[in-house]
Amino acid sequence: MNRRNTLATNEIDLVSVSVSGLVAHPGFPGLPAEPYRLSADGTPFLLPTYGGIVYNVSVGDRAFGWAADCIHPGVSIGQVEDNWNRGLNVFACVGNTARVMSGEAAGTVGVVTGKSGRFSEQVIVHIPQEARSRMTVGDQVLVRAEGVGLSLTDHPDVSLKGISGGLLAALPAEESNGQVAFGVTAQIPAHLVGAGLGLTSEGGSLHMQSTDRKLLQELSLDRLHLGDLVALEDTDSRYNHGYLRGARAIGVVASTDGPRAGYGPGIAILMTAPAEQLGSFESTDTNLVQLLDIED
Amino acid sequence: MNERFCWNFDDLVEMAVTGQVSQPAVRRGGYVHGPDGVGEVLPGMYGITYNARVGDRAFGWAGDHVEPGVSIANPNELADYALHYLTCIGNEAEVVTGLAKGAKGVVTGEHARLLVDFTPDVLDEMTVGDTIQIRTRGRGLRLESHPDIEFKKMSPALARALGLRVEDGRVSCPVAMELPPRIMGSGAELNAEFVDQDLMSGDRSLMDELGIDQMRLGDLIGIRNVDHRFGRSYREGWVAVCLCIHGDSVMTGHGPGILTLITGPADLLDFHIDPTANIAHTLGIRGMA
Repeated sequence: MNRRNTLATNEIDLVSVSVSGLVAHPGFPGLPAEPYRLSADGTPFLLPTYGGIVYNVSVGDRAFGWAADCIHPGVSIGQVEDNWNRGLNVFACVGNTARVMSGEAAGTVGVVTGKSGRFSEQVIVHIPQEARSRMTVGDQVLVRAEGVGLSLTDHPDVSLKGISGGLLAALPAEESNGQVAFGVTAQIPAHLVGAGLGLTSEGGSLHMQSTDRKLLQELSLDRLHLGDLVALEDTDSRYNHGYLRGARAIGVVASTDGPRAGYGPGIAILMTAPAEQLGSFESTDTNLVQLLDIED
Repeated sequence: MNERFCWNFDDLVEMAVTGQVSQPAVRRGGYVHGPDGVGEVLPGMYGITYNARVGDRAFGWAGDHVEPGVSIANPNELADYALHYLTCIGNEAEVVTGLAKGAKGVVTGEHARLLVDFTPDVLDEMTVGDTIQIRTRGRGLRLESHPDIEFKKMSPALARALGLRVEDGRVSCPVAMELPPRIMGSGAELNAEFVDQDLMSGDRSLMDELGIDQMRLGDLIGIRNVDHRFGRSYREGWVAVCLCIHGDSVMTGHGPGILTLITGPADLLDFHIDPTANIAHTLGIRGMA
């Protein structure tokens, strides 16, 4: 693990606990022969979407241009029972170690790279591609959950959300005048924040909107990669996600773009503050692959 | 002025749907949380709301997502979707069971339940479980001169009453106020034929600066640079005309509910400010509060 900052935390007080999920099966609405979703232009489309074992999309790959709707890279896990799934989705933190516990790839170690929100609510785990090829839907993946309760000792107004202590320590960071700022690959303006607004910020995800392709191109936001750290301007994610001038949220691009209105790449929010206590600065290549030394 | 508009009213099919007056429900744990995390237990959704009516203020209630009038739902999921997707704002409703049987009302909104306005004397006679029947009409509505403008949940009665005008080939609708797209929040994950999208009222000083906190239930609302055809998303050069259907919320990412009525490209659709643009007034439901 790269340590890029010396920010003080309460990491020594955190409790490490097991949560597990099963590799999720992709799902589609069935009869009466309506598997289609609608694009923002009203065109019905039928494309791979979240869930399952994804063989050829991994954290670090591009987030745009796939023939897919909000695909989770690597392996998606979940629990069938709602409360158990809630426990998994809330307690698993980005950067936590995950281990395959059953099946042909048992023993393989991976890492949590994101989560998804309403309608899917899965935890996204990177498992090396070779091991992925030996896994099957239903295999159990155990996450050593550690990070809920984490705080920055010198920056109590910054709320940390679903981030492991290891990932926090690996982030490029700067402190000045009481503010802490983190390196990100892009800043997303508030009017491009979409699905996930008003929903829980303990777990789940918040999507940037990609309907206005021209604007995305102008802002170079269509060059984002899975695993990129990004900042969401004027976004307060302390208790649900919402608009507030001066607030900021920082998260990681967890799923790919998709054609639906209100949607685009899904972002797992890692931290937020309401009133300028959290900043961000441009730092190209701030991506989980480098930060967590992820090998494919 | 409306005589100049050519609508396809004669082609619209009129169908009955029913729902029952809902019993208020409280989420597990009871609390809703404000932006600073403080939990509150507040009324607002479901049931018969006696003292918040379309035309009243949307902000300032000691409540959360206050649904004016009577909130109805159908216990059968598929029938409930029919209630949601076929009902249009301005459709006539009638109480068909109970002490208020025969009383007439008007649909004024669609949240997780359909919202129907009745006069206070009718509310006094109603109870949870009473069946309300709605004569739905409006799905498929088209303005023949502007087929690329999309109307959603718009009854013929409301289409006539809006006070639309045409200027330089553009249809313009009176609205009580304009909202900036950056504060449009919860509901971005839903399709635009289903319920509403809350405006995000968490930036309280912005609500005051822009006068948004003066919004009333039933106000017509304009938003530029959003496309509400197949979902609700930011897109430059598009316009939506909407309706305030429920009250403010303490929850981050929430606020008064904004339901899509009209959407189209900015070269065909526009809006102009008229502070009296409220359906309580335009549909003749009641005098202004």
